[in-house]
Amino acid sequence: MNSALLTLADSRLPAGGHTHSGGVEQAIAAGVVHDPGSLAAFLRRRLATSGAVAAALATAACAAIGPDEGGPEGDSVIADLAALDVEADARTPSPALRAASRQQGRGLVRVGRRAWPSGAWNALPALPHHPIALGVAAAVAGLGPRDAAQAAAYLSISGPATAAQRLLAMDPLTVAAVTARLAPEIDAVADGLHGHDGPISAATDPLLDLLAEVHAARKDRFFAS
Amino acid sequence: MKTFVEIVARPGPGGLTVLPVVRASGQLAVRRTGPTTVHLVATAFGPLGGDDAEVSLVVEEGACLAVRSVAAAIALPARGAIAPSAQRITASVDGVLDLRLEPTVVAAGAHHLAGLTVDLGPAGALTATEQVLLGRTGEEPGRWTGTVRVVREGRPLLNTTVGLGPDQPAWLPPVAPRAYASTVHIGDDEADVLTGDDAVRLPLPGGWVTTAWGSELHRVVRAATLLTPGAPVRVPA
Repeated sequence: MNSALLTLADSRLPAGGHTHSGGVEQAIAAGVVHDPGSLAAFLRRRLATSGAVAAALATAACAAIGPDEGGPEGDSVIADLAALDVEADARTPSPALRAASRQQGRGLVRVGRRAWPSGAWNALPALPHHPIALGVAAAVAGLGPRDAAQAAAYLSISGPATAAQRLLAMDPLTVAAVTARLAPEIDAVADGLHGHDGPISAATDPLLDLLAEVHAARKDRFFAS
Repeated sequence: MKTFVEIVARPGPGGLTVLPVVRASGQLAVRRTGPTTVHLVATAFGPLGGDDAEVSLVVEEGACLAVRSVAAAIALPARGAIAPSAQRITASVDGVLDLRLEPTVVAAGAHHLAGLTVDLGPAGALTATEQVLLGRTGEEPGRWTGTVRVVREGRPLLNTTVGLGPDQPAWLPPVAPRAYASTVHIGDDEADVLTGDDAVRLPLPGGWVTTAWGSELHRVVRAATLLTPGAPVRVPA
């Protein structure tokens, strides 16, 4: 079922992720990101905070649907996903980051319903957070919770890396290398969730909150977030 | 060393808060210092690596409790110990809790875990401030990991973990601050987003959370104070 994972993590999946820079646009404006080294540092802190939280939420959402094709859509699944969505809100106090997450969640549901038709989509709350939608997408695509975590962790840095490449006119090969070298850390985030039944990670980076809010107030931005 | 503190606040006559339960053992003592105020007093050096403090606060409906401390806490590494020191504050609030302890200074080589879990009832209100400085003067920074979880009637309103110091997720150059301050407020007064220099205020249901960071704690605290609703509006220079 690895091909479904590749589809889910593919930047060409028209889920709308390409309109978001994951804070990179404002990080560049603030001088935090300016070269491959500073981009790698930014991606690393994003992966370890919002990426780790997204991975944990996606894993939990995928597990809530369960392995059955189509999945149950009973009240308990609806309640589980709604509870996860509220947990995502509690971990995302920034209104700009909340809006970005829900926009991307909506985009994923739109393409996911067509790609992998299933009643399980109906268990999602309206305008779900992206990681919750991603967990459901993984489940209905026949993937498991670890796959969902891996996709969430990867997507937390792949979009921002591409955004940085475009905004700074960086060498695409260099940016690809920066992303590729983070693979062990992406895997570590996903592996860290395996067999983990404690509370969902709440790792946060106040810098990302600040960048997102300053960015949202700008009139001259290229990216939605 | 294990430290336990337990305080129950109950409304008393004439707006006074009575404290039917005050227990403290280990490295903290509790002193009543005002009609609604208690101070935590450190009775030993530290905390040291491996030390574990649990503080349980109950504020019953109609009661107000202000919790302060008399001096900064200096988290120090224990010889040979790799375990962090920890302080976990758990509060059940149906009245008003105002929790503002003095800063935590984390010495080089030390790792301190700070946890705050607040369960708010329908009438519960909370103001909780955290101030952190990594390393004493001229010293390498220690590590601090702080988790806040605020729940009102079963619904989580805020749940964040901030890790500061070497090898921590949100602490990578060029943004690796030594000083950090954050205040969470939940009542019935919402506040919109406000941004500052290395400081941000975010809205929460019925309240807000401010966070500020930088190289010097007094500047960081000032930056956070400027974002507090009701603070005088800063005129740009």
